[in-house]
Amino acid sequence: MTSAAPDRPMIDIPVIETERLRLRAPAERDLDAWIAFNRTERTRFVGGPQSPNAIWRGLATYLGHWALRGYGMWAVDLKADDTLCGMVGPWCPGGWPEPEIGWTLLASAEGRGIAREAAEASRAWVYGTLDWTTAISLIDPENTRSITLAERMGARHDGDFTHDEFGFMRIYRHPGPEAIDPAGRLIEGAA
Amino acid sequence: MTDQPATVTLSDTPVIETERLILRAPVAGDWPFWASFFTSDRARFIGGEDNREKAWRAFGHVIGHWVLRGCGNFIITLKTDSRPVGEAGPWYPDGWPEREIGWSLWDPAIEGTGIAAEAAIATRAHAYTALGWPSAVSYVAHGNDRSARLAERLGCTLDPAAATPRGEPCHVWRHPSPAALAA
Repeated sequence: MTSAAPDRPMIDIPVIETERLRLRAPAERDLDAWIAFNRTERTRFVGGPQSPNAIWRGLATYLGHWALRGYGMWAVDLKADDTLCGMVGPWCPGGWPEPEIGWTLLASAEGRGIAREAAEASRAWVYGTLDWTTAISLIDPENTRSITLAERMGARHDGDFTHDEFGFMRIYRHPGPEAIDPAGRLIEGAA
Repeated sequence: MTDQPATVTLSDTPVIETERLILRAPVAGDWPFWASFFTSDRARFIGGEDNREKAWRAFGHVIGHWVLRGCGNFIITLKTDSRPVGEAGPWYPDGWPEREIGWSLWDPAIEGTGIAAEAAIATRAHAYTALGWPSAVSYVAHGNDRSARLAERLGCTLDPAAATPRGEPCHVWRHPSPAALAA
């Protein structure tokens, strides 16, 4: 009457490798790092601190997002030593104005261009594999690091969005697929 | 553009067949049915509210529970028309003191037909056999008399000493053990 439960992950999330990084499905082993992240002030731009239970549910929602949308956030590991750097990827939960490329970095991963490498790989994937014609990133106006990254990627401030729960955010619009090379980088002179 | 073709789905999840029902893992197409339920008064006992964004994230984590735990709530569909009408089954998110068999009927039209019981019994059997659970409880909110009656019908007894999720007040109904059910 019942087919047996499998031993392997039950969702087929693609894995992307870049020069230094591996983008793979979020997993339970990421929970501790995520809980630790939540104890820092770094959460102020992504909804504030949460309980461990809520973080677990958030991790589950990352996975469910893949099944509901066909894309979602990857956990980003440094290939050299498998350490978790953060969560990066295309993101459009209910209530979002349009699909975005999102990124949240752990403090340990900052300052080495890791967010950019992962975000550019995500951008290449949504343009090349999903055929998106445009992409945005939603950023808190006080999150200057993220704004700098968006601008380095060629994105430009293109209106604002106020979320019922998360508040006011700027919309940064990325250059379209025609201005992006297969690695996700801005083609010089294209934007 | 918001939804890509469903190239990413749960795979190799179990399917349970009962007399009237097919119980299967959630799919993206269940979302509108879930949304109607979660944003209605019927979801008041499970934390539902009239907020589609929260409903979306809540449904996302119902799916993600399968990936993180290797099991989860089955969607109850009728054999007659494959319509999703509710959910039932194993539920053990982080912070739950014990493994739970949960249930929610999304469609008020099927209340009183015994479908929730049929689904809960089948998914409990699945948890005890395929998943090897040694025990199970059901957490029922105070005032949720329908669910309390169903718990009784499933042979559960109130366990006032048992811990509750997040320490919040609710009734803990303890299911008969696998041995007791087999006897």
